[in-house]
Amino acid sequence: MEIPANYHIYDLTCYWTWMGADGIARTKVKPQAEVTLKESLENSAAVNNLYVNKKFPLLIDSRPIKSISKEARDNFSIKNRSTNINSFAIIIESPLSRIIGNFFMGLNKPSVPAKLFNNEQDAIAWLQQYL
Amino acid sequence: MSLSEIETDSNKIRGEKILEVIMSYARLDFSEKTIVSNKGDVYDAIGAGVNMLGEELKSSVISLREKEQLLREIHHRVKNNMQIISSLLNLQTHNIKDKNFLALITESRNRINSMALIHEMLYATTDLSTIKLKDYTETLCKSIYESYRKPEMKVNFFVHIPGTIFLEIDVMIHLGMILNEIISNSLKYAFENNEGTISISLNQTDTKYYLSVEDNGKGLPTGFTKEKDGNLGMQLIYMLTEQLNGTVKMESKGGVAYQIEF
Repeated sequence: MEIPANYHIYDLTCYWTWMGADGIARTKVKPQAEVTLKESLENSAAVNNLYVNKKFPLLIDSRPIKSISKEARDNFSIKNRSTNINSFAIIIESPLSRIIGNFFMGLNKPSVPAKLFNNEQDAIAWLQQYL
Repeated sequence: MSLSEIETDSNKIRGEKILEVIMSYARLDFSEKTIVSNKGDVYDAIGAGVNMLGEELKSSVISLREKEQLLREIHHRVKNNMQIISSLLNLQTHNIKDKNFLALITESRNRINSMALIHEMLYATTDLSTIKLKDYTETLCKSIYESYRKPEMKVNFFVHIPGTIFLEIDVMIHLGMILNEIISNSLKYAFENNEGTISISLNQTDTKYYLSVEDNGKGLPTGFTKEKDGNLGMQLIYMLTEQLNGTVKMESKGGVAYQIEF
């Protein structure tokens, strides 16, 4: 996932997060990121700040991730908290991100529609139904 | 040593480390985690998966322990509340001379105690759901005997129940009340000279239990029918057995014998 130039990008501890021109929000995990609750809350706040007047889908590129704690996974599953996203897709290409993604979907069961993808194009195509 | 040999050795060590962590999780020891390197290879993926499984397992174990503790506390409180009710009933008997009223209070207290005993035994068990029938029956017999005991009374109890039979609380509440009523009736009416025996046995097949409770007392009066002459206790025996989807056979030959199939 390319980080666009001349965009307002949230440069966070473990993520780069921004709103795409197509209305789909993006969040890209930084290389070797070890995500704990603190970093997940930081990203959730940034994603929610992208809200203008309607809920939006979110594309997550988790390929370079190193680890994510249970508390962070629980936060990302959007249970018992408000959110401005209406769906999300996670790109999982590396063995590590594939394992983490599948664990997240299986054990943490997100409360909005969510799906794992091997590539960005398929993920975007799926998210467009939520625009 | 070639580069590929070094890598093979390194992966072997990584695999062994992951196995060690899995084994510690199997012992419910969550102090260890696998180390995920920067390679992002299959070993790292397996290691990350094991770490996440460990976190979920730890969370489930803690949650289960908390629920067990809560359930134990609930059984303890239910038992205490029942004992308070029983004590309050006992207080009502002070300065009362009416024998019928006193008998009514004793019967009510014994019914409450038969249920309180189940909750008392449940919070002492490890699984919090089943009761060892043999232990329960022996304790119940002692408790009922104490409540009806007169100085000249000498009744022996013979309990033949396999120590391997454990029953769920729903069944135990019914069975405890049934045992309470049968034993109470025997102690109240069977032994004219205040001596005798009460035998309790239970056999089990694949699908059914057969409970037998009999005394060697004077038996039922001639022409006795449960519909016409039975007391509340006897009605309870039939009603509670029906709720267990069981059947009752009552015989009076020498003493009174109940055969309960459920």
